[in-house]
Amino acid sequence: MKFHLPIFEVKNLNFNVAKENILNNISFDILQGEYIGIIGPNGGGKTTLIRMLLGLEKPTSGEIKIYGKRLKDFRRWDKIGYVPQRASHVDSSFPATVQDIVNMGRTSKRAIFSGMSEHDHEVVRDAMIKMDVLDLAQKIVGTLSGGQRQRVMCARALASSPEILILDEPNTGVDTRSQNRFYALLRSLNKEEGITIVFITHDVGVIVDDIARLFTINQKATICNNPKQTLSCEDMSTLYGTDAHLVHNHKHGH
Amino acid sequence: MAQMHILFTIISMDIKMSEMLQYSFMQNAFIAGVVIAILASVSGTFVVLRRYSMISETLAHSALVGVAVGLVAGLNPLWVAVIVALLSSWLIEYLRSSFALYSDAVLAILLSGSLAIAVIIVSLGGAFNNSLFSYLFGSILSVSSGDVMMIVLVGGVALALLLMFSKELYFIAYDEEVAQTSGIKVKALNFLLVSVVAIIIALSVRVVGSLLIGALMVIPSVAALQFKKGFKSTTLLALFFAVVSVLFGITLSYEFSLPSGATIVLCVLFIFIISLILNNKK
Repeated sequence: MKFHLPIFEVKNLNFNVAKENILNNISFDILQGEYIGIIGPNGGGKTTLIRMLLGLEKPTSGEIKIYGKRLKDFRRWDKIGYVPQRASHVDSSFPATVQDIVNMGRTSKRAIFSGMSEHDHEVVRDAMIKMDVLDLAQKIVGTLSGGQRQRVMCARALASSPEILILDEPNTGVDTRSQNRFYALLRSLNKEEGITIVFITHDVGVIVDDIARLFTINQKATICNNPKQTLSCEDMSTLYGTDAHLVHNHKHGH
Repeated sequence: MAQMHILFTIISMDIKMSEMLQYSFMQNAFIAGVVIAILASVSGTFVVLRRYSMISETLAHSALVGVAVGLVAGLNPLWVAVIVALLSSWLIEYLRSSFALYSDAVLAILLSGSLAIAVIIVSLGGAFNNSLFSYLFGSILSVSSGDVMMIVLVGGVALALLLMFSKELYFIAYDEEVAQTSGIKVKALNFLLVSVVAIIIALSVRVVGSLLIGALMVIPSVAALQFKKGFKSTTLLALFFAVVSVLFGITLSYEFSLPSGATIVLCVLFIFIISLILNNKK
């Protein structure tokens, strides 16, 4: 697949908190249809970077553009589906069925006072089928397992028919089998539906075959254009500040 | 024999009810009470889900400042209460969103500050009398036709605003940041929610009282949450609990000459305890 249109354009981005430099002079583009992996140690600024891309944090300096527009002028947030870090940590007493949560994905597409249209129901059903949660539709979300909740949160993000999906370690605390299913779903969303994916994870080894580029973030950003070949054990050890190695997942049988 | 006794009791209750409803002040109390129950429970569901339950107590105390100003200045205390509660709600939301202060600390500061201001105004104006007492604890005798009209009209507008943005407010209650990143105007809607809550609380002080309205807003929703249903069912259950509590509360208040607000709150507390027991058995 060839990527042309830049979705995100980030230039000379800096972020300081109480004079401490969290992100230092970061520049990159994310192009339409790309699958970007972001790795880095805890506290290295990955989540901060994503939050700035989404307008949840203001950079100290630098510029971010989405679809060619400056953040403050951008209005089409419904094009972006976001699954935050704490996605699977749902308040168990929150009164929401799986259907209620996935319906939320249509909120910004619906007019005031309007109910769910036939089209809305179709999109929501489709998102639930893709994430394999249709049979859980009437379950209270707080009663689900971590893996099921993770899929529900992604179904909500998908129900907004996003062009870009941003996921911040949504699989924390989820068992390996559920994680592998989840990675397969992301791969198919990117390859078959052309959805741009930005995925923060520590499990780079299992997605290294799927991603187009890998960003390593630890105050500064390093972009690996061919993550499978260029990311060495030495790089990983430098990034994480400890002896690290890349484990490739043989999910494709090669 | 036992059946005859039950039948006799029901008939005598029926007679008492029809007697009670002949009084225009009781009709006013029932209409105002039911409208307030609907308003408080629906808005209360959002407030509880936002973990913002203490806002009702703080705004009720701010409304008391309005009542005090109204009584001292000879203005309609309900109107002044609505205005002061609204201003207070905007201040709370502004402080919370702009200065990243702890929400509960903001509420505690404004609660005690409002009460202090209300007490000073009332003592300076020499208006510490039964009239103020009725606004503290609620009094069905004090609900006039004008109050009913105001509660129905202003409350109706507040409820319409709440329902108009209910899907957005529900999303915000679930996850404020995710709602924001999907294009929902979170800041504006947070201001809308606290404004609607302020109006509803100020309207309720006549019937339930400023010290007790928080309970009518929060307890029905917390009781409904025990049943672990979806959003619509939870809201409808909260509404049902609030309306039943108000109807029983006002009836018992009339029957035994008790303060209406306290009686309503005891009824809703009873429902809450039953909800806890029923759902702990599951």
